[in-house]
Amino acid sequence: MEPRVLIIIPAYNEEDSIGNVLQSIRDHCPEYDVVVIDDGSADATAQIVGRFENVALVRLPYNLGIGASVQTGYKYAMQEGYDIAVQCDADGQHPVDRIPSLVARVTAGDADLIIGSRYVAESAYKPSLGRRVGKSILSRLVDAVVGGGITDTTSGFRAANRKVIATFAKYYPDDYPEAEALVIVHKSGLKAAETAVEMNPRQGGRTSIRLLHAVYYMIKVALAIFIDVFRKFTKHVETR
Amino acid sequence: MGEAPQFGIELSHRVALLTASLALLCLVLELVRRGYLKERYALLWLATSGVGLLLGCFPGLIVFISPILQVQYLTVLFILSFVFLLSIVLVFTVVISRLTERHRQLTQEVALLANRLKRLEKKSE
Repeated sequence: MEPRVLIIIPAYNEEDSIGNVLQSIRDHCPEYDVVVIDDGSADATAQIVGRFENVALVRLPYNLGIGASVQTGYKYAMQEGYDIAVQCDADGQHPVDRIPSLVARVTAGDADLIIGSRYVAESAYKPSLGRRVGKSILSRLVDAVVGGGITDTTSGFRAANRKVIATFAKYYPDDYPEAEALVIVHKSGLKAAETAVEMNPRQGGRTSIRLLHAVYYMIKVALAIFIDVFRKFTKHVETR
Repeated sequence: MGEAPQFGIELSHRVALLTASLALLCLVLELVRRGYLKERYALLWLATSGVGLLLGCFPGLIVFISPILQVQYLTVLFILSFVFLLSIVLVFTVVISRLTERHRQLTQEVALLANRLKRLEKKSE
């Protein structure tokens, strides 16, 4: 039986790009269901999503932040009984045509979570120096804890199986969640792996990581990961 | 500093301590009575005023503590009030964190239910 796949798109004021992203999902993988989590957008994001038939829209009444809106997507996937959930940004950076290859690796059982990574050899993505340094320190930290050779710990382009969906529905960090989520996956006894993808430049909106926040970002995530090492995560038991 | 301090502590300081502690006690009890302050969060405030009253009634305690901490007796009062304020603020940040987590879960639940309701309405049309 084919697995039921849900694409989770968290969106906060993404009216410039969300339409294109949804359209290219329709073009490249029409067989997958889509849910957009509108994180209290003040612009036309929700109206644009409403134009697409069969795209579910969950509107948070006010802005909760990226972590909470992604988690809302995983809770939705959990409640609706999806086998695989794919996380994809609304700004058009993630190559939606690669979603089927992420899903295929999850289906094949390569790992519980497959990350579409920017840093593996074949990609031409060139981030700024500050961001590279920050992300490389974080990657090393995650690597020290998880020890799985994951190069792009901050990529939000991921496909998760049922066990990871259940874990994330229960535990998911508030802000800058991607790197810490990997530690949670590891601590829950699950496995993550990555696959190289070519990232596109942003189509609209602004990146959620601004330079001023970089220091807060590093300290917060490092502290969270350090504490997670000593936390207990109850493992998910499939009851279906 | 006029006469020799009674029990090793200035009378005016003792009066001020007792008055402040009593005022705090009455204020906290009144806030609880009117329902502005929950009993569980009032406990630390009550403990603060309780210790204030205790030290005001038995100033010998302060005189006993100050040489242990190697500070003057007035400083003991400042240290104690600082410790109490610190614990109250710490407890409150714990409470705020718990409320944040609950309100996040509640908000997510509301959004998911609203989505479900919409789908059900569409289905029944």
